[in-house]
Amino acid sequence: MSFTSFEFWLLVAVCVTGYYLFPARIRWTWLLGISGLYYAAAGPGFLLYLLFAVLTAWIGGMAAVSGKKAAVALPLLLDFGMLAWLKYTNFLISCLNHFPGVTLPYLELLLPLGISFYTFQSAGYLLDVYWKRCEPERNPAKLALFISFFPQLMQGPIGRYQTLSPQLTQGHSFDDTLIWRGICRITWGLMKKIVLADNAALYVNRIFGAYTDIRGLGFQGVLMYSIQLYADFSGGIDIALGIAEMMGIRLDENFRQPFFAKTLTDFWHRWHITLGTWMKDYVFYPITLSEWMRTLRQRSRKWFGREIGKAFCIGIANVIIFVVVGIWHGPAWHYIAYGLYNGLLIAAGGFFTGSFRKWKKSLGITDQTAWFRGFRMLRTFLIVNISWFLDRSVSLGQAWQMFKDSFGSRLWSVTVIDPSDPEKCMVRFLTIAAGCAVLLTVSILSEKGKDVRGMFLKLPWWGRILLLTGAMLLCALYGNMDDGGFIYANF
Amino acid sequence: MEELIQLLEEIQPGVDFANSTSLIDDGELSSFDVVSIVGELEAEYDIRFRPMDIIPQNFNSAKALYELICRLKEA
Repeated sequence: MSFTSFEFWLLVAVCVTGYYLFPARIRWTWLLGISGLYYAAAGPGFLLYLLFAVLTAWIGGMAAVSGKKAAVALPLLLDFGMLAWLKYTNFLISCLNHFPGVTLPYLELLLPLGISFYTFQSAGYLLDVYWKRCEPERNPAKLALFISFFPQLMQGPIGRYQTLSPQLTQGHSFDDTLIWRGICRITWGLMKKIVLADNAALYVNRIFGAYTDIRGLGFQGVLMYSIQLYADFSGGIDIALGIAEMMGIRLDENFRQPFFAKTLTDFWHRWHITLGTWMKDYVFYPITLSEWMRTLRQRSRKWFGREIGKAFCIGIANVIIFVVVGIWHGPAWHYIAYGLYNGLLIAAGGFFTGSFRKWKKSLGITDQTAWFRGFRMLRTFLIVNISWFLDRSVSLGQAWQMFKDSFGSRLWSVTVIDPSDPEKCMVRFLTIAAGCAVLLTVSILSEKGKDVRGMFLKLPWWGRILLLTGAMLLCALYGNMDDGGFIYANF
Repeated sequence: MEELIQLLEEIQPGVDFANSTSLIDDGELSSFDVVSIVGELEAEYDIRFRPMDIIPQNFNSAKALYELICRLKEA
C-alpha cells in the first residue's frame, strides 16, 4: 500500500478519525490494529517476520535487563541473522559461484517491507535496555506498536523507544493546529514526491538505464538523481511525520537541509539523521570503546604521535561505519564502494584537520567568510554527487563509465526522456526547475530558523484550503503519477 | 575540576568548557570530539568508559563529565 495510493489515504483518514473517537487510554490499541492492517495488506506472510521481531525484542528485552551479554547478543543475532539471511544470501551465492566448479542455485527470498527499519528500531531498544538507558517494556502489544507504527514502518525515521513509545501509548487530545500542521507537511511531502522526485526519476531512469547508448550525460543523470533521491526520501519522511503529527505524535526529524552542508561529515549530520545517530550510538561508540580499539589507540599514539594517532583510530571506526551503511543499502559491490568512499574521505578529513586550520589562519580565512562558506558548500555538493554515481549505478563499471561521461562535450539534454515529444519534455524539465526553486526557498527559510508551516497557519482557513487545493492541482497537472514506490522502502 | 577543564581545553581547543552546559545539545562537541575526549581521559585517569556512559547528559558540561569520571573511578 503505497503512500501515494487511494487505499493508503483512506486508511489514514480512518486512523486519525478513529484515534480521536476512542477514549484516550485505548487509542494506542487502535494504532496497533491499523498498523497491523497496513502491514498485512503488504503481504500476510510478512506479518510473521514482524511478529518474530516483536517477540525477539520482547523476550530479549526482559532478559537483557539482567545485564548479561549473552541475553542481548542472542536476540540481536536472531534479528540481524534474519535480515542478513533475507538480504544477503543470494549475494553470497553469487560470490561463491565465481569459484571454478561452484554452481549453487539461487534462493527465492522476498524482503519483507521495512524489515531493515524495524530491525534497527528493535535492536536499538534491546541495547538501550541492556545499557540501562530504559526499562524493558512488559506489555508485548505496546512494544509491537513501537516497532510497527505504520507511518514510519516503510522507510523510517528510525525511532528511539524512550521518546517514541510514551507518545504512542499516551493518547493525545484533539488539537486542530496539529491537524493543519500535519496536512501541510503531508501535502509538501506529496508535492516533493510526485512533482519533483518522480519527474526527475524519468531522467534518472533513462540516463542510467541506457548509459551505454546515451553518452555524455553522466553529470545530468547524477544531478537529477540528487534531486530525485532527496525529494523522494525527504518527501516520504514528511508524509510519515505529518500523519503522526495529526495524532500529536512527533517522530524524529530525518533531514536538515543536507545540501547546505559545509563538509561531508556535516552532510551526514543532516541527511538520514536517524540512521546516522543510530550508527553513532550503537556501532561507532561501542567500536571506539572496544578493547581492540583501546589497544590500537595506544599503539597508534606511539607510532604516529597524539594527533595523528587519534585521527587514525577515529578514521578506522568511520570506515567501518560507512562500510556497514553501504552494505545496509544493498548486497552489491557498488554499495560497499559507496560506503568506503564516504568513510575514507571523512577519515582523510580527520587527518588533515590540523593542517586545514593552519592554512586558513595563514590566509586569514574563517569558516564565516562568505565566499569560503559558498566554496565549502559547493565542494561538499560535488563530493556527495560523485558518491551518487556509486549509489545509483548497478555496478562499479557503470559508475566509473558514467563518471567519465560527465566530462564529455554533451553535458545536458532536455529531450533525452522522449526525443519524439520535445514540448512534453520541456514541461517536465521546467516543472523540475520550478520545483527546485520552491524547495530551495523553503530550505533557505528553514536554515534561517523560520517556521514555514507557521506561516501557513497564519493564513485564514479558506486561504489554507485554497493553497492546499492548488498544491493538489499542481500534483495532478504536473506530477508524474505513474510511479508510486519510494527508493528507501527497498532498503 | 580545574585540572579537567585545562585538559579538555588542550584536547579540544576553542570550546568553552568552563561555562557551557550544553556542549552536545548545541553541537559544540561532535561524536568525533567525544571519542577523542574519551580516549584522552581514559589514558589520563586510568578509567574505562562504557557505551552506556556515552550519553549527551554526561558530556554537556565539564561538571557532568567530572562527576562521571568520579563515578568511573569508584567503580
